[in-house]
Amino acid sequence: MVRNASTRVVVTGLGAVSACGLGAEALIEATQSGNSGVKPVTFDALDIQRVKTAGKIGEADLAEILGDKPHRMREPVAEYALAAAREAVAHAGLTEADFGDACGVSIGSGFGGAQTLNKNYLKFGAEGSMRLDPMAVPKIMNNAAASWVSMEFGATGPALCLATACSSASQSIGMGMQMIASGQVERCLVGGSEACLEAGVFRVWELLRVMTADLNRPFSKDRNGMILGEGAGVLVLESLESAQARGANILCEISGFGTNSDAGDLLRPDPERAASCMRMALRQAGLEPDQIGYVNAHGTGTVANDVNEVKALRDVFGEELAGVEISSTKPVHGHALGAAGALELIVAIGALLRQSAPPTLNFTEVDPKIGLEPVPNAAKGMPLEAVMSNSLAFGGINATLIAQAFEADV
Amino acid sequence: MSTDRETLTRELLEMVAEEGMIDPSEITPERPLEELDIQSADFVMILMAIEEKYGAYVSVDNELTDVVTVQDLLDLAISKIEAHQAEEA
Repeated sequence: MVRNASTRVVVTGLGAVSACGLGAEALIEATQSGNSGVKPVTFDALDIQRVKTAGKIGEADLAEILGDKPHRMREPVAEYALAAAREAVAHAGLTEADFGDACGVSIGSGFGGAQTLNKNYLKFGAEGSMRLDPMAVPKIMNNAAASWVSMEFGATGPALCLATACSSASQSIGMGMQMIASGQVERCLVGGSEACLEAGVFRVWELLRVMTADLNRPFSKDRNGMILGEGAGVLVLESLESAQARGANILCEISGFGTNSDAGDLLRPDPERAASCMRMALRQAGLEPDQIGYVNAHGTGTVANDVNEVKALRDVFGEELAGVEISSTKPVHGHALGAAGALELIVAIGALLRQSAPPTLNFTEVDPKIGLEPVPNAAKGMPLEAVMSNSLAFGGINATLIAQAFEADV
Repeated sequence: MSTDRETLTRELLEMVAEEGMIDPSEITPERPLEELDIQSADFVMILMAIEEKYGAYVSVDNELTDVVTVQDLLDLAISKIEAHQAEEA
C-alpha cells in the first residue's frame, strides 16, 4: 500500500448532550437562537454556595440518558459520552463492519468520574466509612468514557483519553484526525465528556474566583467570570476515501489542527502562544486567515481569557479583525471543560451548515481593553466557507480546530 | 449594621499581610502590591478570606485587574463588601 500523505479527513456524524438538551441539533439550535440552557443549581453538601447557576443537563434529559436503573459501573461522564456517541454513529450510518481495528476512539475528559470521587470522599470524610464503592476506581478513571464507547461499538483501534483541562476535547479531536490522516485508522469517534457539576468540584471552582455570581458575559466590559457546564460531544471523523466508499453523507471537512504549550504560567494565558496555535491550524488547512469567516472563541468571560484571546485573534486576523465574526457560545451551554472543545466544534460546524454566526448572549458593552463586538445577542447570517474553534486551557495548553465546507475536488 | 470604614481598613490590612505572607510593618497604602510580591494566587487567597469574614463573593473582574497599590485593593474590597452589606440589609 502506498502511503497517502495528504489523506483528507471529513465529518460524517455529530452527537451531543448538553444543557441545551439531547442531540447535536438541540445544541446548534440553542446557540443560533440564543436560548440559554444555563439554570439554577444547588448543592446540598455546600453550606456556602455563592454561584447559583450552571449549564446543567435538564432533569428529564438526564433521566433519559441514565435510564431507570443506573448502570453499576458507569458514571454520568461515561453515560454522556455513550449517548453522544450513539447519536453520532447513527447520524453517520455506521454499521458493525465499520468498526473493529479500522476505528479508533479519542474522547477526553478533564475530571473523569467526578460524581463517584465526590460521593466517596464525602462518605469517607464525613462518616469515616470504609464501605465505599468497590467500583470507584474504574468509574473515576479519566479513560472510562473512551473505553465504554469503544466497547459499545467494538471499536478496537487505538483508544485515547487526553486530560488537558479545557483543551481535552479539542486535542482529542485533533489526535483522532491525525490518526486518520496518517493512515493508522479509517475512522475515529472523537470528542470529550464532562460531568463535573458535583459539590466539591463546584466549590473549588468558586474558590478560584473565575466563576460569576451573575450572568456570563464574554468580551463584555462588565464581565466577571464564567459559568460551568457539562455534557459530551462526539463526532465521527473518517478518511475521505472510506466515507466515499460507503456512500456516507459528508457534513464538512476537518482540515486544520493546531496545538501548543505556553510553557509559561500555569494559569495566566499567553496571547503569542494562542496566536501561534491558530497559525499552526491555518497552515495545516492550507488556508489564509481571511478565508475563516467565523471563530467560536474559547471566550470564557473571565477577564484574563478574553483580553488574551482577542489580542491573539488580532495578531492572526489583523488589528481590525475585518471580515471575521467572533463569538462565544458559553453563555448558552456553559463552560463544559473537558467537553467544551467538542460541543463548540459542533456549534461551529452548525454555523457552517446554517451559514450563520451564533451570538454571544448577555453582551452589554464593548470593553475598551478588548474593543470587540462579538456578534452580540442575535445570530448573523453570512456566507461561511471555513470556521475555527479555539480552546485555551489552564496548564497553558492551546488547541485550535478548523472545519470547512466539503468540496470533492481540491 | 455595617462594619465601619476604619475597622474594615484595619482588618483588611491584616488580611493582606496574613494571606500574602508578609510582615504587616512592610505594608503601607501607597505601596504597589507587586513590590510586596503579592501575586494573582495571593489575590485569590485574600478574596477567599474576604468571603469567609464578610460573606461577600468577589470574582476576578475588570476592576480587580486595575488594582496596583495596597490602597487600590482596599478601596475595591471595601466597595464590594459595602455593596454586599447593602444587598443583605
